[in-house]
Amino acid sequence: MVLDFEGVKRLLPQSYPFIFVDRVLDFEAKRRIVCLKNVTGNEPFFAGHFPEIAIMPGALMGEGIAQASILLFRLSEEGSPEAGGRIFLVGTTRTRFIEPVFPGDSLRITVNVTKLFSKSAMVKGIAEVDGRTVVKSTVTLAAVRPDELRGHRPQTRQLGVRSATP
Amino acid sequence: MEHGLEREITTVVAEIIEMEEDELWNKREAHFVNELDVDSMLALEMLAVLEKKYKITIPEENILDLTSLQSTIDLVRSKLDRSSAS
Repeated sequence: MVLDFEGVKRLLPQSYPFIFVDRVLDFEAKRRIVCLKNVTGNEPFFAGHFPEIAIMPGALMGEGIAQASILLFRLSEEGSPEAGGRIFLVGTTRTRFIEPVFPGDSLRITVNVTKLFSKSAMVKGIAEVDGRTVVKSTVTLAAVRPDELRGHRPQTRQLGVRSATP
Repeated sequence: MEHGLEREITTVVAEIIEMEEDELWNKREAHFVNELDVDSMLALEMLAVLEKKYKITIPEENILDLTSLQSTIDLVRSKLDRSSAS
């Protein structure tokens, strides 16, 4: 094993309840990463998706592939001055959801780099359960510093309303 | 052959930036970012797909040269000429 859950948390900018990788099983710098996500019936998203039958939302499997990509990015740049302080935004995805994922399934997420730039990458990811592919996704993502997003964030309007609590 | 290359690249780029091929071809000199709403993520995807399709290597600094469909065709053609010359 390359990273345990504590190591994953240290490298991902996300935190609970939005971490969709439990372990990094294998890693080849700038080329490939294999991660594990164990899905339990206790996941908070199962409360709403769906009340009648628990199925992991496809978007969150895509998030798992994106987080595996971030870990690949971060592990490949460990020790460089650029490391840390950046968040990662997905630019484009082309995803196929092939089979549903249920509580008790172990997702094995493999990401292969198609193209790696200094601050962006294009990757192909798949997630498998028991050797069967359940999701395939091509993702581009960019590393940005939070202050670079300032101009994109909605501005707060001054409404001239007095605060209810003085 | 030359015509074939132009057609192929137009097809690839049109699919990535979600534009009709004929419209893109008519706007082949139009600036990707300023006129066609192409962002750096789409440019990265274009570059990765073209590299794979033509078995060429386009380094990171060349992404700035991908300003229009025409410049993309020119860049791919120059890389292909270089690889066949060597």
